[in-house]
Amino acid sequence: MPILELHHLRKYFATQKAVEDISLTIERGQIFGLLGPNGAGKTTLIRMITGIFYPDQGEIIFDGKRFDPLNDIADIGYMPEERGLYKKMKIGEQTLYLAQLKGLKKADAMKKIKEWFIKFDMYSWWNKKVEDLSKGMSQKLQFVTTVLHEPKLIILDEPFSGLDPVNTNLIKDEIYNLAQKGATIIFSTHRMEQVEEICDHIVLVNKGEKILDGTVNQVKQDFKENLFSVGVERIPAGLNSNMPFEVVSNKEQSLVVRIKDGNRPNDVLQYLLQQGAAIRSFNEMLPSLNDIFIRLVEGTPTSRQFQNVNA
Amino acid sequence: MNKILLIIKREYLTRVRKRTFIISTLLFPILYMLLVFGTGYIAATTKQVLRVAIIDASGYFNAPVLEKQNTLDKSSVLVPADPGAADSIKTDPQKAGFDGYIVIPSLNWKTGDSLVLQSKKSIASSNAALIASKLNTVWDEVKNEKLGIDASNRAILTSSRLSVKANKINDPNANGDTAAGIGFACGFLIYFIILIYGSQVMTGVMEEKTSRIAEIIVSSVKPFQMMLGKIIGIGLVALTQFLLWVLFMFAIYNVTKMSGGAASSSANQFIGSIQKIFSSVNLPLVLSCFAFYFLGGFFFYSAIYGAIGSAINEDIREAQSLSFPVTMLVIISIVIMTTVAANPTGPMATWASIIPFSSPIVMMARIPWGVPDTVPWWQLTLSMSLLVAGFVFTTWFAGKIYRTGILMYGKKPSWKEMIKWAFRRN
Repeated sequence: MPILELHHLRKYFATQKAVEDISLTIERGQIFGLLGPNGAGKTTLIRMITGIFYPDQGEIIFDGKRFDPLNDIADIGYMPEERGLYKKMKIGEQTLYLAQLKGLKKADAMKKIKEWFIKFDMYSWWNKKVEDLSKGMSQKLQFVTTVLHEPKLIILDEPFSGLDPVNTNLIKDEIYNLAQKGATIIFSTHRMEQVEEICDHIVLVNKGEKILDGTVNQVKQDFKENLFSVGVERIPAGLNSNMPFEVVSNKEQSLVVRIKDGNRPNDVLQYLLQQGAAIRSFNEMLPSLNDIFIRLVEGTPTSRQFQNVNA
Repeated sequence: MNKILLIIKREYLTRVRKRTFIISTLLFPILYMLLVFGTGYIAATTKQVLRVAIIDASGYFNAPVLEKQNTLDKSSVLVPADPGAADSIKTDPQKAGFDGYIVIPSLNWKTGDSLVLQSKKSIASSNAALIASKLNTVWDEVKNEKLGIDASNRAILTSSRLSVKANKINDPNANGDTAAGIGFACGFLIYFIILIYGSQVMTGVMEEKTSRIAEIIVSSVKPFQMMLGKIIGIGLVALTQFLLWVLFMFAIYNVTKMSGGAASSSANQFIGSIQKIFSSVNLPLVLSCFAFYFLGGFFFYSAIYGAIGSAINEDIREAQSLSFPVTMLVIISIVIMTTVAANPTGPMATWASIIPFSSPIVMMARIPWGVPDTVPWWQLTLSMSLLVAGFVFTTWFAGKIYRTGILMYGKKPSWKEMIKWAFRRN
């Protein structure tokens, strides 16, 4: 049973069709990438999932039942892109307060806070105020407050922004850890290399609509352009238009070729061998998510235009 | 419900533990006392004693007469001018050592005359009146002598007078002045509390919005709970501060009562006047009504202030321009309240004490005059139920604006847009 199903969600604002008919399914234990350019409607979508906004239309099924914001938000942890904590409040007290708001009992919350603070080496911060922390430190604190109540669904909006590589790895390991323990993670970001590394499944949203949905590998296969890179000792001389492939780029000792329709990689190799080329390497070149992202989003205006919505 | 309690607790504790709360709780009564006694003291000590030259042609205001008056009435010094020096005094009284001069022509004792106090600097009319009454004391004796009235008859003329004092038929202790005084004090306290703590609600909401904690909180609790928790928490802070002041007052009262029992007559007078004030009004009724209107007024206005706080961004000037109309309503209430003392049953006072936006302040100024004589029960009941309905409405209305505003960044909305948010579905 999937943890979350969205059916035909729609949310219009006065001047924006923020989300226009989005449906998707997120399986339990998945690390799910929610991608899209600025202003695509990701935040609105997330706010509907976290019960902050009501959808105008459509249905949210959470954990097999119709989403009931009042009770179900205890099972959701949300870390917004704009980080927020009470600046003047002591860190220990604040973490306890936020945990209790999520429905944890005081003693229970204390125990968990201590575990996390020790794990993240934050125990000495207890009586400090948030305004005393650096950006990276408050980021770690924000992460702890998000996952402390052991939510079934964790939504992280740009969780690594402002973190150094050491802390990035620390959080990344925790994300894997939580997923392994059965939590589902929705991961929203613009950093495609992180998505490729972390996510199992991605959805790309643009202008309020879903334009791509699949596993990372599947998506890459779907968007491959039959490009192969061939490493050779010496570029063979007899390259002409009758070949089973065309040459995209030609640098010394390395060719990038596109296989023509109806041919297979073997045909390329066969041809090159016949030409007497000494082959050193042969690799399929799959597009990066970055390329796919740019290709899909390119051509649409870089920022959304205001429009009048009659709804 | 449990979550609202958590929010109330946080809002309350973070404020009560602040140093500014402790300092303001201690300082306010001290500053208030200083203001009351200080201005009285300054007014008493800085009274101007004018030195005026009398250039007399009538012969009634000669040196011995004026000297006698100067010893009896020290509010001014009247000096008969040397006939030779009159011209130099007229050209520059200050150089001659006077604040001004009065030329008295030959007078007809039956008609009197109007005199002019000439001076280079301006003189308050109250000071001129003091001098006039001093001259009239002399003038009275002149008239008495001319009419042949002897000393015993003069005493009858001055002391035999009719006076009128207001008395309430079924409450002989009641006193219009103390009622007006208590009413004013209550009205002003509610006014201060609405303005000070209302703007605390506003800045508290602004702080949550600008520090972006709002989005985290509303993913845990409903925005309405968040707003209500904040308002109740801050309301409790206001109540705490008020109760501490009452406690101080009782402490000071009891200390003066014990220490001053026999020691000084002024302390006895003080205690006596307080006891008289307490006995002249229905204290339990006034206190319980005060608690009701204090909380009702606070909830009515702070919800609106909370909505304003949710609609704006970091800029405090935006807050001022949006909250200006609301603050005006509070100030209008206090202006209406000042008319209550003149006519506590007039149509202005009656209606303003029933309509919710002004009722917390205006009704509190009327209640000490007496229920049900001055304020009939139906007016009190109507006013209270309208205030309850009023703050239920403003809280609902503010909750709708709050829910949209707290996550909205960018341009400051207008009141029109905010009202649109309130009446939108979802």
